[in-house]
Amino acid sequence: MSLRIYRILQAFIVLALCSFLLDKLLSGKLSLYINIRYAPLTVFGIVVLAMMALALFREPKTDHDHQDSNQEHKHNASTRALIILFVPLLITVLIPSHPLDASAASTRGMNVSTPLIGSSSQTRQFEAAADTRNILDWIRIFNSGSAPTPYLGQTAKVTGFVYHDPRLPANQFIVSRFVITCCAADASAIGMIVTWDQSSTLEESAWIAVKGPVQSAELGGQPIPLIEAVLVQPVQQPPQPYLYP
Amino acid sequence: MEIPTLRDGRSRLLIQLILLGILAGVLYSSTPPSAWPWLGERLSTFATVFLGIFIEALPFLLMGTLASGLVEVFVSDDWLARITPRGALPAALTGALLGLIFPICECGTVPLTRRLFRKGLPLSAGIAFLLAAPVLNPIVIFSTATAFGWGRMLFWRLGFSLLIAVSVGLAFSVEKDADNIMRSSKFAFELPVIDIPPADQSFIQKLRRSMIVSADDFFDMGRYLVLGASIAALLQTFIPQTTLLAVGNGPILSVLVMMGLAVLLSICSTVDAFIALGFVGTFSFGSVLSFLVFGPMVDIKSILMFQQVFRRKPVLYLVLLPFLMSLLAGLAFNYFF
Repeated sequence: MSLRIYRILQAFIVLALCSFLLDKLLSGKLSLYINIRYAPLTVFGIVVLAMMALALFREPKTDHDHQDSNQEHKHNASTRALIILFVPLLITVLIPSHPLDASAASTRGMNVSTPLIGSSSQTRQFEAAADTRNILDWIRIFNSGSAPTPYLGQTAKVTGFVYHDPRLPANQFIVSRFVITCCAADASAIGMIVTWDQSSTLEESAWIAVKGPVQSAELGGQPIPLIEAVLVQPVQQPPQPYLYP
Repeated sequence: MEIPTLRDGRSRLLIQLILLGILAGVLYSSTPPSAWPWLGERLSTFATVFLGIFIEALPFLLMGTLASGLVEVFVSDDWLARITPRGALPAALTGALLGLIFPICECGTVPLTRRLFRKGLPLSAGIAFLLAAPVLNPIVIFSTATAFGWGRMLFWRLGFSLLIAVSVGLAFSVEKDADNIMRSSKFAFELPVIDIPPADQSFIQKLRRSMIVSADDFFDMGRYLVLGASIAALLQTFIPQTTLLAVGNGPILSVLVMMGLAVLLSICSTVDAFIALGFVGTFSFGSVLSFLVFGPMVDIKSILMFQQVFRRKPVLYLVLLPFLMSLLAGLAFNYFF
């Protein structure tokens, strides 16, 4: 393969990776994979890849001056490297993307005690009105070290997916969300127990909104908030399925 | 496009892995989801985790290769050799602190280290840089401080990283001939890109040339990112984290578990402090410290990238020495503090 074709092939793959990132960014799917706080990094990546593609396209002018058999050999060897960088593109195209769900929660485990302290919104969970707190806020209240007594009996209104934890009786399930600090590799599931007499009718991974007074319970020896559900309704999957500490 | 030649076993394995991936993808998309629910769910989790690591790490890899390209074009060949101190210990110390000027994480250090070696950086300094730069740099110091505060976790993380990097650098300085350590490079990055002597090139030409060098480095290292991310995602999809955490009690096992987790998760050193924060309640100070010290030096991606640059035995030392020293550091804290 000549140097010219090699460079153009490189440019093509770099451009493909660039548009892959751009597509994820513009379609909003980026939030399925990484904490959107790091979106500026992705923008940086898009810019660098675009510049790289441009440099590679413009490069091969002086090409045929230095072409010997030795160099051809080198190009053959590194064609492999070119192909491997296609794999992420293949995976996006071939495997339909949807956010981590209950099946992922069952392998990764339900994290009832994660002391997520996060850098932002340290006090949000205490100040926010009870019905605007999300699952992460409630978990933080229960893990803050002081007893959650003042918050018991308040009405919670949270959205999450259904996870039937094998440790729970038939009239209970967990309303769960994944928390992502950096990217999907560090996702951990958190959740609140819901007591509801029709629990068993709920399908695993279905998105629901739950409303009801909060009580304290225990799961695996850890304190965990429990909602005595007054209302459970199916909802659309929220545009941002994960929570970010 | 030509079919690549299948010469050595490693590249054959790469091709097989990809073919397997494509096959799995085709199988999945051609069978109704109801027929393969278990595999389908797992595959989708795998894809999400894989793309998560890949998309998060890609900009950092690009930063490293950009730095490498700029060093190639703008740093003259003997400048580094001239400014680095002669003795092995001062050289290793300089190398370890070089990360303060090049703020990159572990995906970027490998290509940059290789470039610095080619620019005459002594072996001990290069190895110390390779191991220390992912932690001893402004971004990581800031993110660790954000997560843990300006306290003892930050202090000991920096201290042990420096200590380990310098000691391993010193151990490597015993070897005088760099050819015994480094693999001979057999890829396209050796090509003269523009046939004009560097001194006669305009600034723009130099920039363009540094871009081409970066691109070659990017292709050279990018495949290990792809491979490392897929192995980490596979392990995460099929091995429940809970089993690992359930095993992790006791002063010795907990350190080992946290170090295993550091390798398994393969997360970038710029954000691993936030992840470590999640383990503070469950694990002792020493175990979390060993996670923060060992993770940036060795994980699945970096082991694969090491193999591209170094010969087999040096790779073994680069993994084993930091492993043992981080283990000792974690144990020391679990037993004595």
